[in-house]
Amino acid sequence: MPRLPPSIFWRARREISPVASLLLPVCRTLQSTANELRWIRDHVHRTPSVIPAGIRIWQLCEERSRGVPLQYLLKTQPFGPLEILCRKGVLIPRQETESYTFHLSSILSSSSSSSSSSSPLTILDLCTGTGCIPLLLLCCSQKSSSHFSCTGIDISARAISLAKQNLSHNLALIPSASSSIQFIRGDIFSTKFTSEIYAQHLPDAAEIDVLTANPPYISPSDFRSQTARSVRHYEPRLALVPDSVPSEVSKKYGCREEDVFYARILEIAGDLKPKRVVLEVAGWEQAVRVVEMAQAQRDTRGTDYKVIEIWRDDVHGVRDAGESTEIWGQRIRVKGEGDGRVVYLSRLLD
Amino acid sequence: MLAVPGVYRTCTWSLRRAGFPSSFLRRSSTAKHVSALPPKLLERARILSAEHDQLSAKLADDFDAKTAERAGEIFRVAAAFKQYEKAKAALSELESLLKSNDAEMRELAQEDLNDTNTQLSDSSRELSVALTPKHPFADMPCLIEVVPGPGGTEGRFFADTVFKMYQAYCENKGFRSRVVKYESSDSIGAKGSEGEIALQEAVLEVLDEGSYAHFRGEAGMHRVQRVPATETKGRTHTSAVAVWVLPSFPENSTSSSASEWDNPESDFYIDPTDVKSEKMRASGAGGQHVNKTESAIRLTHIPTGITVSMQDSRSQHTNRESAWKVLRSRIAQKRREEREEVARNLRSSVLAQSQLTRGDKIRTYNYGQDRCTDHRAGVDFHNLPDVLRGGPTLGKVMEAVHTYLAESDIQALIADEAAAAIASTKAKNGK
Repeated sequence: MPRLPPSIFWRARREISPVASLLLPVCRTLQSTANELRWIRDHVHRTPSVIPAGIRIWQLCEERSRGVPLQYLLKTQPFGPLEILCRKGVLIPRQETESYTFHLSSILSSSSSSSSSSSPLTILDLCTGTGCIPLLLLCCSQKSSSHFSCTGIDISARAISLAKQNLSHNLALIPSASSSIQFIRGDIFSTKFTSEIYAQHLPDAAEIDVLTANPPYISPSDFRSQTARSVRHYEPRLALVPDSVPSEVSKKYGCREEDVFYARILEIAGDLKPKRVVLEVAGWEQAVRVVEMAQAQRDTRGTDYKVIEIWRDDVHGVRDAGESTEIWGQRIRVKGEGDGRVVYLSRLLD
Repeated sequence: MLAVPGVYRTCTWSLRRAGFPSSFLRRSSTAKHVSALPPKLLERARILSAEHDQLSAKLADDFDAKTAERAGEIFRVAAAFKQYEKAKAALSELESLLKSNDAEMRELAQEDLNDTNTQLSDSSRELSVALTPKHPFADMPCLIEVVPGPGGTEGRFFADTVFKMYQAYCENKGFRSRVVKYESSDSIGAKGSEGEIALQEAVLEVLDEGSYAHFRGEAGMHRVQRVPATETKGRTHTSAVAVWVLPSFPENSTSSSASEWDNPESDFYIDPTDVKSEKMRASGAGGQHVNKTESAIRLTHIPTGITVSMQDSRSQHTNRESAWKVLRSRIAQKRREEREEVARNLRSSVLAQSQLTRGDKIRTYNYGQDRCTDHRAGVDFHNLPDVLRGGPTLGKVMEAVHTYLAESDIQALIADEAAAAIASTKAKNGK
């Protein structure tokens, strides 16, 4: 990262505020510093406290200068129309996730309106974290009058309790949520995972329509060299790097260390047979590897995904450029702009 | 209304006390009214009134929503026309009485004459207002955009004052308003004379329907004359602030207009492929690797080159929606202005009066003289602090502007009719 010239610190002190020079090393630009300071001030003025506002602002700026993510300091992150609560120990929702969730919701609403089936769509979200993906899907479904029934699963007890809080926090926007969404603690690597899910939490013989997941996907070496300081030091490693999985389990799949979750999720998808699978990935190379894993299942398990797509960072509201690529002789549509972000698999031709 | 209240108020009182006839006092030019209606307008009123009679007869037989709507539209014209006819008939009767030989009769008629004359002018005024086509955006909520004029920070400080003035005015009047954008310029630390911040651009949305008609007259250059906080030698500076009033789209209206921006015929329609959307943030790794807080969005409408950038909210989603809203409003206003320009060119042959355009100054706020002058209505108001607080004095200024706008609309309409008449006679002569 290039060094910031001293003059920019002087400008921040003089033109924005004395505390702005604290934020500058994290925010990097004057504009972004001014914005973050404004949001911190707004937050302080909105939440009353016995501590004087000036001291609280200074404290927050001081913590931010040490790299604490702004979302942990302000305790929320907007996600579409929702306000998602954020707490240490749970991954903060990303803007890319917001973009592809919107895109997925538009696909679901257009397909559900054409099929006009009255039974609700069943959505299973693995590694749900704050619960942002099922909550946003549910929120978007309010307008299109399609019915969803969502289940979010995470291994972290903190994540599950925060997801439940997020549900009640956003109940004003999604009044139907309390009956149509559940968050359950579960370990997707447990051998009895699929049978337990069916036995305990899903309605009898329910077909899963959509399986979404934003699993940990950063390799340990990338975690050391490629991640931002605030992510590395303050966000949970459990949600970022898949090295909590026992090595004998990851050896069983015979894939790279960072791809072990995809191998397991595709295995689960082979059992549950969801109509659509949406997996967030780290970049183009990983997207191609995941597509190859999905295609390999056709031979080993007979799971045939008729449509395979790769979505880039900004996919919602971006015009389709008609880009496509070919992996193992199958044509893969590529949507959006930016780096590869999502692998979309569908058994339906739509 | 007195042309110069305040300063001469004491003088006029003393004059009145001295028995000075009030007819000698100069009145504001806005008080003059259109007394004689041109025959073309009367002709149209007669046709519309006849149509209304026909429609109401039809409605009595069987109700039809479309007919009822049309009847409602022209009801005001018909009612005003009837009033006008009545007043006219009364006047002619009185005139005949005046010629009578009976002295007592003549006296009575003379007494009634004044009343009837005011009735006639009132109803003719009402008629011309009713005949003036309603502004197409009149029923809409609006966006008030405040942008400082070129020049130093003084204009930016005053822009903040103007913005606060409209915000307070909405609060006082009970309009629901919402700050869409409030962006200060680089030198955020500096403060103006009354704790103002240097404003780069601000947008206030007034959510009430019909607020476009209410605030339409505020659009234009607002000039300030005062001694800035930064001035050391006590000189008065003049700077300017531009205020644009744009029609905005009602957020969740159930009427047919809700789907209007999807309709290519609408002024608000924007082809999504014409708009370039940019996220202003550093490139590089995304996803779980980084944790971005930048949420700025910039939209560029390629055919017109209009750009809107929005970074107020932490949510990119909210920023994008606000940016689209402002872009739609700006484009709708631009299209409307282009059409009005064409219409103005058509009637310029008839109407010599100069029309105000975007560049003309419309109002002056003079701190030294405690005065607020509206240049179009030609009125001065004192008690500037009350104006800047959005108090009742600002309400009076806006009322004067409304009267002015209504009158200029009527004049434009009369000019249009005359232009059309000239064109038709030319066409006839050509044959």
